[in-house]
Amino acid sequence: MLWVDKYRPKTLDQIIVHEDIASNLKKLVTEQDCPHLLFYGPSGSGKKTLIMALLRQLFGASAEKVKVENRTWKVDAGSRTIELELTTLSSNNHVELSPSDAGFQDRYIVQEIIKEMAKNRPIDTKGKRGFKVLVLNEVDKLSREAQHSLRRTMEKYSAYCRLILCCNSSSKVTEAIRSRCLNVRINAPTEDQIVKVLDFIGKKEGLQLPPGFAARIAEKSNRNLRRAILSFETCRVQQYPFTTNQAIPPMDWEEYVSEIANDIMKEQSPKRLFEVRGKVYELLINCIPPEIILKRLVYELLRKLDEDLKHVICHWAAYYEHRMRLGQKAIFHIEAFVAKFMSIYKAFLIETFG
Amino acid sequence: MVMGKRNTVVVLSSSDDEDYVPLLSSKRSYSKPNSRSLVTRTEPRAGKKKRRISDSSSRLCVESSYVDEIRSSFQDFDEVISGSKVSTGFGRNNKKELWIDKYQPRSLEELAVHKKKIEEVKVWFEGRLTPSKDELSNHVLLISGQAGVGKSATIHVIASHLGARVCEWNTPTPTAWQEHVHNFNSGIQYRSKLDEFETFVEKVRKYGLLPSSFPVESKSSIILLIDDLPMTNGRAAFEKLQNCLFLLVTSVQTPTAILVTANGHADPADQTTRLLEELQSSLETAGACKVAFNPITYNSIKKTLTRICREEHCNLSDEQIGIIAKSSGGDIRHAITSLQLFVLKPDLMHRLSPSDLPSGYSKERTHDLNALDGGFSLHFGRDETLSLFHALGKFLHNKRETENTMALDGNAFDISEKFSRLPLKMDAPEKILCQAHGQSRPITDFLHENALDFLSEEAMDDAWGMASYLSDADLLLASFRGMLARYNEAEGVLQSASASVSVRGVLFGNSHPLRSRWHAIRRPKLWQVEQSTLQNKKEIVRQRFTTPSFCDLSVIATEYTPVSNWLGLRTSGALEDHQMLIQSSGMVHGDIEKLSLDDHESEISGDEIEDWD
Repeated sequence: MLWVDKYRPKTLDQIIVHEDIASNLKKLVTEQDCPHLLFYGPSGSGKKTLIMALLRQLFGASAEKVKVENRTWKVDAGSRTIELELTTLSSNNHVELSPSDAGFQDRYIVQEIIKEMAKNRPIDTKGKRGFKVLVLNEVDKLSREAQHSLRRTMEKYSAYCRLILCCNSSSKVTEAIRSRCLNVRINAPTEDQIVKVLDFIGKKEGLQLPPGFAARIAEKSNRNLRRAILSFETCRVQQYPFTTNQAIPPMDWEEYVSEIANDIMKEQSPKRLFEVRGKVYELLINCIPPEIILKRLVYELLRKLDEDLKHVICHWAAYYEHRMRLGQKAIFHIEAFVAKFMSIYKAFLIETFG
Repeated sequence: MVMGKRNTVVVLSSSDDEDYVPLLSSKRSYSKPNSRSLVTRTEPRAGKKKRRISDSSSRLCVESSYVDEIRSSFQDFDEVISGSKVSTGFGRNNKKELWIDKYQPRSLEELAVHKKKIEEVKVWFEGRLTPSKDELSNHVLLISGQAGVGKSATIHVIASHLGARVCEWNTPTPTAWQEHVHNFNSGIQYRSKLDEFETFVEKVRKYGLLPSSFPVESKSSIILLIDDLPMTNGRAAFEKLQNCLFLLVTSVQTPTAILVTANGHADPADQTTRLLEELQSSLETAGACKVAFNPITYNSIKKTLTRICREEHCNLSDEQIGIIAKSSGGDIRHAITSLQLFVLKPDLMHRLSPSDLPSGYSKERTHDLNALDGGFSLHFGRDETLSLFHALGKFLHNKRETENTMALDGNAFDISEKFSRLPLKMDAPEKILCQAHGQSRPITDFLHENALDFLSEEAMDDAWGMASYLSDADLLLASFRGMLARYNEAEGVLQSASASVSVRGVLFGNSHPLRSRWHAIRRPKLWQVEQSTLQNKKEIVRQRFTTPSFCDLSVIATEYTPVSNWLGLRTSGALEDHQMLIQSSGMVHGDIEKLSLDDHESEISGDEIEDWD
C-alpha cells in the first residue's frame, strides 16, 4: 500500500491539515443530519479524505466496509434503450460514483440511475428512517444538461437522500446547484502544513529526515499534499538514509514535457512541429489530460524564455486553452499553440540575432 | 388489415401470370425459366406484354370496388418491372423517339468507339466464328469500360456485321420481399438472381445454347452476351459468382462476351470496384481475352452529335455541341440524351448562346457558371465524382496560377501583400468537397495529419496559419455538440462550414506551395491515438479500485501511475524512467499503412474506409 493511502486519516479527529474544517463538519453532523455538501478545491488538498472521514462520523465503521460494483444499467431514453456501464463504490449507507465517466451520456446517469438510488431509502436498526448519502465525484466535468437534472434530483429526493459533491473548481458548477449546497472550500495546504504531515509520516516510518529535506519536497509538490507524499515515498525507495540535497525524481510525463519544450526551443520548423505532435500523442495515449499537458508545456517554455516574450506567449496559451475546452480534439489546439510559439520565437530570434 | 389484403391481391394476379414472374412457375416446369431467360433480340415481347396488362386488369376489375384503385397502381408497377419501352406518360404526348434508340449505331462506321478497339473485337469474333482447324483455347471476351462507352453497341454492331445472332442473358425479375414472404407460405423456394445465373451458366457449359430457343431456320452462328452481371452482396456471394464465371470461361464453346461496367472515377477504396477488379483479373487468368474501352473522345462524341444534328435538322453551333460533348465526360449515351433535351428546351439554347458575350470571354464565362452555381450541370453534364484521396491531393498540393490575372481587374479589393494569394488552379474547394462526398471530420483529420508535409522548411508562419484554421474547424465541429439533435439542419450547416474553413485554411495558409512532388498521404494517426487512449482510460477505470478511494482519472494518470511504475521499476531495479512511456505507446508506430497518392492517379491498398464514420 502506498503511504498516501496508508496514512490517510480515517476520522475527523485524526485530521491534521484542515483541522478547523474538520471540527466544523463534526459539529454539523452530530445531529445525524446534514445539508447537501459541495466540496471544492485544488487537487491534492484533502477533499476526499474529509468526505470519507465525514462518512465515518455519520455512519460509524460500517462506512468503511465498501464493495466495488460494476453494473450495466439499461436506461430508457425515448425511442431507444441505452446501456450504460457504471462502476460504483458502496456501503450500506452510501454510494460513491463518478457520473462524468459516461462522457456525453452523463445526463442519463444523473436522471435515471441517481434517481433510482435516491429512491431506495434505508431503514436503520432503531426503526428510524435514515437517509442515504450519494457521493458524486468530478461534478465540474458534468455537462450542463446533467447538472440541470441533478438539480431536480436534489430537490425531489432531499427527504431521504443527501448529496456530497466533490470537484476541483466550483465555477463550473451551476449557480443552481451551488445555492442548494453548503459550499466547503478546501484550500491547498500550505508548505508548512505539508512539512508537518511529512514529519508525521517520517516519524511513523521511523525515518531520519535531514533538516530542510521535507521543505524541499513540499516546495516541489506545488502545494499538493498527495504529490508530496508520493514524492516522499519515491525518495525513500531511491535512497536511504536521505541526504540534504538529494534529487527528487520528477514524474515521467513531466520529464517528457520538458523534453518537448527543449525540442521546441532548439528548432522551429514544420518538420519539428510534426515531431512534437508525435510526442504529444504519446502523452495523450497515456491519458495525461490535454489541459495539464498544455499547462506544463507553457510552464517549461516560460522558464527558458526571454522576458519580452512571456506575456505574448501567455496570451496565446490562454487563447488556445480556451479553444481546447470548447473544441473536440485537443491535439489541434495544442499544435496550434506550439506552431504559434515557434512562429513568434523564430521571428524573435531573427530580430535579435539576425 | 387493408395493407395485407392489398398485397394479396397484387401477388395473386401476378402469380397467375406465368410469363411475368418466372420464379413462381419453377415448380411446374424446370426447363422453362432458363430458356426464357435467353431472349433473343428479335423476339416480339411488347405485344405479349400489352395483352397481359389488359388481361390482368380485366381480371382485377371483377374484384371489389377499391381494387380499382389498386389496378392503376398495379399497372404502373407492371410497367416499371417489365421495363417496357412504351411508357404511357411520355410516349403519348411526344411522338418523338428517344434519340438514343433512333440513332443507335447500325454500322461499324457509326460507332463512336475507337477504330482500333472495334477492330480488335471484330478480329476476335471472326476468329471464333469462322470454322478453323486449329482449336482456339478461349472463347470468352471480357470488355470493360465505364458506362456509355458503347460496349453493348459494339457487340451488336459487330454481330450483325458478321451475320451472327446475339443471345443475351437477361436477368430475371427480382423477387420483391413481400412477394417472397407470400411465396414462402405456399412453399415455393426463393431463388436469388445469382442462383438463376448459376443454373444458366451450368446449362450453357454442358449443352451449349439450346437450339430450341431459336427459330429452326436460323443456321447463323451465335454470340452469347452477358451484360449486367448479377449483383453480389458480401464475400460469399461474390466468390460464388467468381467461380461460376471462371468455369464458364474455361469450358464454354460458344464465343461469349462479358461486359463489365467499371466506374472510371469511383473511389478506389470502394468495395464493389475492388471486387470487380478482382473478378476481371481472375477471368483473365482463366484465359479470357480482355479489351478495355476508354471513355469516348471529345472529337468522336462531337462527330456523332453533329451527325445527329444534321439528320434532325436542328442548327446548333459548333461551340454548343462542343460544350455538350465536353460535359458528357466520355459518355456517348449521356451526350445524345443531353442533346435531345437541349434541342427541346429553347431557353437553354438561349443561355448557352455565345453571341451575347464578348468573344474570347465566353469560354471562361461558361466555365465560371459551371463552377459557381452548377446551373448548367443541372440541365446537362454529368456530376463528376472524385475520390476522397484525389480531393485531398488537390487541397494539399495547392496548385495555383503562376501569375495573378485577377489583379488587373480594377474592381478587385485592395488586398495587402500578406493576404493576397494567386488564384487557385482548381474548382471552388466546396465543389470539390461535394464531389468527393467528403465529411467534415475525416477531411479535417486527414488535412491535419498531412498538411505539414507540404510546407517548406522555412514556412513557420504558414504552419501556424494552417494549425490555427484547423483549430477553428475543430471548434466549429464541436459547437452545439449534444445540444442539437443529429441530422439537424443547423448541424449540417456547421459541418459544411467547418469543412470549408479547414480546406480553405489549408489552401490559404500555405502561402508558398512547394513544387509538386510525390507524397504519400497518411491515414490520420490521431484515430489510432484516440483508440489507444480510450483503451488505456478503460484500463485505468478498472484499476482505480486498487486504491482504496475513488480518484479522478487525471490524478491516477498523472500521479499514481507514474509513481507506482517508478516504484515497481526501482524495486525490480533496471530501466530508465520514461522508457515505460515509450514502450506503452510503441504500438502507435506499428502499422500505419501508407496510402500512396499521385496527383492524378491514386492507388489505395488499405482497408481503412471501414473505420470512417
